Amino acid sequence: MYVAAKGGEQAIQNAEALYQALNGGITLADVRTIMEKMPYLVDRVMGEGSLYAPELAALAIAQTGGDLYEAVLLLRAYRATQPRIAYANPASADTLLTVRRISAAFKDIPGGQILGPSLDYSHRLLRLDVLDAQEDLNRQDAKNAEDAAHASVNSALSAVQNGVVVSDAPAPPTYPALADWQRGQGLLPQTQPQQIAPADIPDVTTDTVTFPAPRAHRLQALARADTGGVLALGYSIMRGYGLIHPTVNELRLGYAEVELAHPVTGATFSAGRVRVSHCEVITPDAGKNGYMLGFAATMGWNEVKLIASSTLDLDMAANEGDGHSAHSEEFVMYHTEPVESSGFCIHFKLPHYVTFASSLDNVRKIAAASGWEK
Amino acid sequence: MTLPIYTADEARDRETFLALMWALSYPGRVHALPQGVDSMPQIGDALLDLETTFYTPDAAIADQLLRTGARALPPAEAAYHFYPSLDDAALGSLAEASRGTMLRPDEGATLIIGCAFASGSVFTLTGPGIKDTQNVRLGGIPARFWSLRKQAIRYPMGWDVYLVDGRDVIGLPRTTMIENGD
Amino acid sequence: MPLSDLTNERQDYSYGYLDAYAKRELRRRALKAIAIPGYQVPYASRELPIARGWGTGGLQVTLALVGPESVVKVIDQGADDSVNAANLRRFITRMSGCATTTDTSKATILQSRHRIPEEIMGEGQALVLQVPDPEPLRRVQPDISKAAQLHADADYGQMWLGLYEQLVRHRQYVQGADYPSLVHGRYVMNPSPIPRWDTPKLHQAAHLTLLSAGREKRMYAVPPYTNVYPLEFDDIPFQVEDQTGRTCKTTGAQNKFMNELPQADGTAVYELSDSGYAEKLKNNVATALTYFDEQGNFYHDGYLKPPVRPA
Repeated sequence: MYVAAKGGEQAIQNAEALYQALNGGITLADVRTIMEKMPYLVDRVMGEGSLYAPELAALAIAQTGGDLYEAVLLLRAYRATQPRIAYANPASADTLLTVRRISAAFKDIPGGQILGPSLDYSHRLLRLDVLDAQEDLNRQDAKNAEDAAHASVNSALSAVQNGVVVSDAPAPPTYPALADWQRGQGLLPQTQPQQIAPADIPDVTTDTVTFPAPRAHRLQALARADTGGVLALGYSIMRGYGLIHPTVNELRLGYAEVELAHPVTGATFSAGRVRVSHCEVITPDAGKNGYMLGFAATMGWNEVKLIASSTLDLDMAANEGDGHSAHSEEFVMYHTEPVESSGFCIHFKLPHYVTFASSLDNVRKIAAASGWEK
Repeated sequence: MTLPIYTADEARDRETFLALMWALSYPGRVHALPQGVDSMPQIGDALLDLETTFYTPDAAIADQLLRTGARALPPAEAAYHFYPSLDDAALGSLAEASRGTMLRPDEGATLIIGCAFASGSVFTLTGPGIKDTQNVRLGGIPARFWSLRKQAIRYPMGWDVYLVDGRDVIGLPRTTMIENGD
Repeated sequence: MPLSDLTNERQDYSYGYLDAYAKRELRRRALKAIAIPGYQVPYASRELPIARGWGTGGLQVTLALVGPESVVKVIDQGADDSVNAANLRRFITRMSGCATTTDTSKATILQSRHRIPEEIMGEGQALVLQVPDPEPLRRVQPDISKAAQLHADADYGQMWLGLYEQLVRHRQYVQGADYPSLVHGRYVMNPSPIPRWDTPKLHQAAHLTLLSAGREKRMYAVPPYTNVYPLEFDDIPFQVEDQTGRTCKTTGAQNKFMNELPQADGTAVYELSDSGYAEKLKNNVATALTYFDEQGNFYHDGYLKPPVRPA
């Protein structure tokens, strides 16, 4: 009986204890393993949790047994306790330390197509031989823990030792933005970077969203959105309810410097690097000569989310108000919010017997009045 | 996990907020702000931070409010106004205070004004938070303030006012009707 | 000045869980909500360590109010011991060190989902209602931007039309809980999914009511001594749920909001929904006056009227 007469408190403590017991305890080594071996999972939780903290994200995944909605909520709830103490400088595409950068719009682009780390052209075959090597299980521990703080960089380095062909000359760290070339060609409208005080940038985590939303709100909401949620809505557009076939103009994975102004000297310094990804999709602008871009970016590397999100961004700009839900900013932003949607969904497990009694009263009165109740 | 600490800062800010909340909930009744601090800067500490804006003609108060991270703006743009007293210049600034919009009436300004509760005329208040009527004695408020307030209120738009005398505070939300029953 | 003067002792979480910025924002919004009764003030609504939809709106308000001297009561469907109420109460006290109670009269802050207690709350008490959907117009206008404009214009025509349609179809109002109500003659609000039995308790109440929707990021208030009228046509009065003939199986109480407990033999028995009140009756503790007396009369004479059916 879940609305317990007395003992409600004991019941919830027991329920949590049982859950923990069935999942086993967690250790620092578990957290480090997740951080090192599941960077894309960690990225996804950081992106949706909108907090760049690989160790905390890995802890959240470990603590929830991999229940991603619970993990994202843990991270968001932790984030809510952290004051904002400074604003970082904007990071632009041409300053990203880029490890992967592709365009579907041209065969080759200035700076080149950089395939980088990807499973795109892999054969999706389970490597069953791994299961044969039982002894591997026994010697993971010590080495992993050591370098975990730099997991993402390290995994790139260890890839070098795992059969990747190493070039003689290092690849350039940064690449120009393809959109800049297109702007030079007059294919895309010119843009002027807006001069705005950081505190004045609309912030979806502190402002209430109203519609039409400022572009900042829309992009922030997409950056924090549920991967599955934007995929479902983005796919509906790609499949037949909107643009049908967006062209990926540029998709990038890389590292961004978190540049801050020193509070005393005012000098710019880097507080560290974060994994980021961004994506542009492009389509002819029906109203004008030229093209229009859809854009999305997020913390961590999450390509499917960004292709879907940038498609939604473009489609909302092109088709807002034409009736289909996935073209509506309000519909997309509200319904892809992972913490709100999952929380509301599971709240239906809570008792609702007072509201039910209220409707029952009406139904009985109607029945009595119309004479079909005995 | 240990119990989070109820720090002195938190205690002051919370108790200040509670005094303001109850003052606004029961307009015209005197509520007490925490002891040992200057009321106006303390109200600033409780309500302001880098997401907010203020205006005050008083340089000393402005210095203290700036420490919250809030931005000083001209009267027409500032969300929180602090006036230790109302002279003609202050009334001129106050007249520009935002009363919000029909869509966002909560953007109407909050005015914190110094006055004296022991002297002056008796006013009769009615409206939400008041059972029947509430009498209140208010000194140091020029008559022009009341006419400005009246003009500013196009309910739901309007100003919300906190009158402060030392540690004591009285709230006058925009819903409060005021008659001079002297 | 030594550096230690500028720093605080390290702790895992701030007092009341939320950091100072979050609390200040909630407090600023709460003041505006009180100043404009029934108007939905947008707010940031931080995530909390309980799931959205489980009372995070109410919880944020409670955390912005609570202090060591507070006495907090939390109920869900009227019950202090429901698992969700127990969980929220445990969190609030874990983060604030406040005292807790099941006695409505002793609470300084009463957070509730879906009920207002039977005993009359007094001045200086804060009732915090958890709100799943703050927008009364959602029934007729799902687009929140358009709904906000309707509120700005005080354009509630579609609400009245909906009520009229209910009368035409069913010869009575059929809205169950969360009955839309006009606050201070200006804003229509959702009083949260409290039963209609509880809606009149908001009218000219001595206590302050703060309503907060965490997921939808809107906060609103009914200040003390403020008019709250359920939407009703002059000639067809609003009706509360009929409790006549229902007797609480443990306390013998009547004319209070009852839980109906279906029995295996096809009948039903009843118990008080307000568990704190039931506990007092059971233990012969003196109770406060109740909003509805033993005969079922509401304490504001003439506010509730006998039923009328349209011809």
